[in-house]
This record gives sequence, structure tokens and C-alpha cells, in this order.
Amino acid sequence: MKLSERLVNWARIKSPWAIHFNTGSCNACDIEIVAAITPRFDLERFGIQVKGAPRHADLLLCSGPVTRQIETRLKRIHDQMAEPKFVAAVGSCACTGGVFRGCYNVKGGIDQAIPVSIYIPGCPVRPEAIIDGVAKMLKTLEESQKGKK
Amino acid sequence: MSKRRTEEELKAELVAAFPELEGKVRVARERRVWVEVELASFRKIFERAVKELGFSILCIITGLDEGENLGFIYHIADQGGTMLNIHTLAPKADPSIRTISDIFPAGHIYERELIDLFGAKVSGLAPGNRYPLPDGWPEGQYPLRKDFNPAVLDAGGEGA
Repeated sequence: MKLSERLVNWARIKSPWAIHFNTGSCNACDIEIVAAITPRFDLERFGIQVKGAPRHADLLLCSGPVTRQIETRLKRIHDQMAEPKFVAAVGSCACTGGVFRGCYNVKGGIDQAIPVSIYIPGCPVRPEAIIDGVAKMLKTLEESQKGKK
Repeated sequence: MSKRRTEEELKAELVAAFPELEGKVRVARERRVWVEVELASFRKIFERAVKELGFSILCIITGLDEGENLGFIYHIADQGGTMLNIHTLAPKADPSIRTISDIFPAGHIYERELIDLFGAKVSGLAPGNRYPLPDGWPEGQYPLRKDFNPAVLDAGGEGA
């Protein structure tokens, strides 16, 4: 691996930027995601910042089941992110569809629309769970990078 | 403030204005009055209730699948907190109703829901987008009717 690639990978693991996208959530998980980025829980100690544009982001934090109306929009947001990109399904509904599974307006979990890297269950998820999930994903990334050296 | 109109007074007022409502007005409890009306006479009763009996607030419109018929309940309230629930039926074969959006402009959103979710035909509605089902929803499928089968959605493929 070239030095420049290693440097980019190091930067990505040390400071992944996230974007939050509500795909049809009841808002509870959104509140917990917002809580997770506050100084009390301090997601920024992992270098994680929530950005305003998907083009700047490495990590897509999706909350809620995928509604049929939002499905194409979710795919479009996902397509706008630069490779390599990671998707976190935040909350029970995002993992499986949850209580909304089988509704006429709901497609199912996030993985029905786009590939998911980590599933963080909870209704709503605690900020600690979000931090734990994201930290575990970063750790697996780091380990996979070590093998490539 | 003047004394509140009682439910019985309201019932008497309705029956006096429309003799066909005799026996069709039911006082469910305090401040909750139900009335069953024919579709043909719905409009004049609704208009009178709004314009002359002081029911100036449209709370919501409920849609129902009642077997052979579609049911519509118009929940209207007056300033004193009395709610008048006007229930009418339209046959499923031709569920045509007239819009009330000329009286309550904001009511069009409820009527668009009746169109999308129950397949009602509302005449006199201003042109506008469908609401609230997603784009690409299959024609002729009404999710809140009892015979709706969600299997048709995934058979239609992408986005359907």
C-alpha cells in the first residue's frame, strides 16, 4: 500500500465524518443521535463529526425503517458519499423494520435499500450504544488495515 | 359567558331544521353528539351545522370500510367544546362524495387522504398532488380497505 493511501486510511479511521439521515424514524433515535454528539457523551473524542453534506461524510447514520417514499432518496444520498463509505443502522427499526415491519408504506430495515456495515439495536438506542457500535466498527477497520500493510 | 347549549337543545335544533333526522341523533355523552345522515342530505345538514349552529372547527374526517359501503365521519366542533360527529355512507361501487374544502379550505388534506387510502371519489377538489401514499403506488390499491393485501406491493417491483 502506498504511503498516501495509508495516510488517508489512518485519517479515516482516526476521524470519520458522519451524516445523519432520518429514513422514517419516529424521532426518538434522532434525539439520541443528537445527544451522542453533545459534549456530555462526546463522540468527537473519536474524531467523529456530524457534517451537513453527504459528500463530506464517510459514515451514514440512518435512523428509522425505510419508507417506500424515502427509499430512492436514501439511495441517492448513499450514492453521493465518496468511497469507501459505511452505513450504520441506528435503532431497532433501522435494523429490521421494527414495529413498522409489514406496514403498507414501509419497505423494511435499512439493509432492504442499501448495504449496512453495522447494526445498532435499541428502542431508542442509547447514545452509549451508538458510540460503542461506531467504535467497534472503527476497530474492525483498523484491524483489517493492519493486515494490508 | 352565556349558558352553554345543552346536547338535548342541539338535538332539538337539528330535528327542528331537518325532520328526517328524527331518531338519527344520538347523544353519546356530554359534549359528544352523533348524527346519521343520508349522503343526499349530508351537504345541507353539514352546511347548516357549520354556518348556523356554530360548528366552526373541523377536527378531522374519519374514513371507514363498512363492508358494502364506505363510511365517512365528519367531526366538527363549536367554540364551547361540543363535538358533532356527522356519519354518512357511500356505496363502495360508487363512493362519490362532494368536497367540503369550499367551507373548510384546510379540509382538502383529509379528503386527499380519503382518496388515497380508501378510494373515495371527491368531486370539486382543487387540483393538486396526491397525498399521502408514495410515488409509484399501484393504481386501484387502497391500503385502509379491509380487503387490501400488502403482497401486491412487492410484486410490483422497485419502488412499488
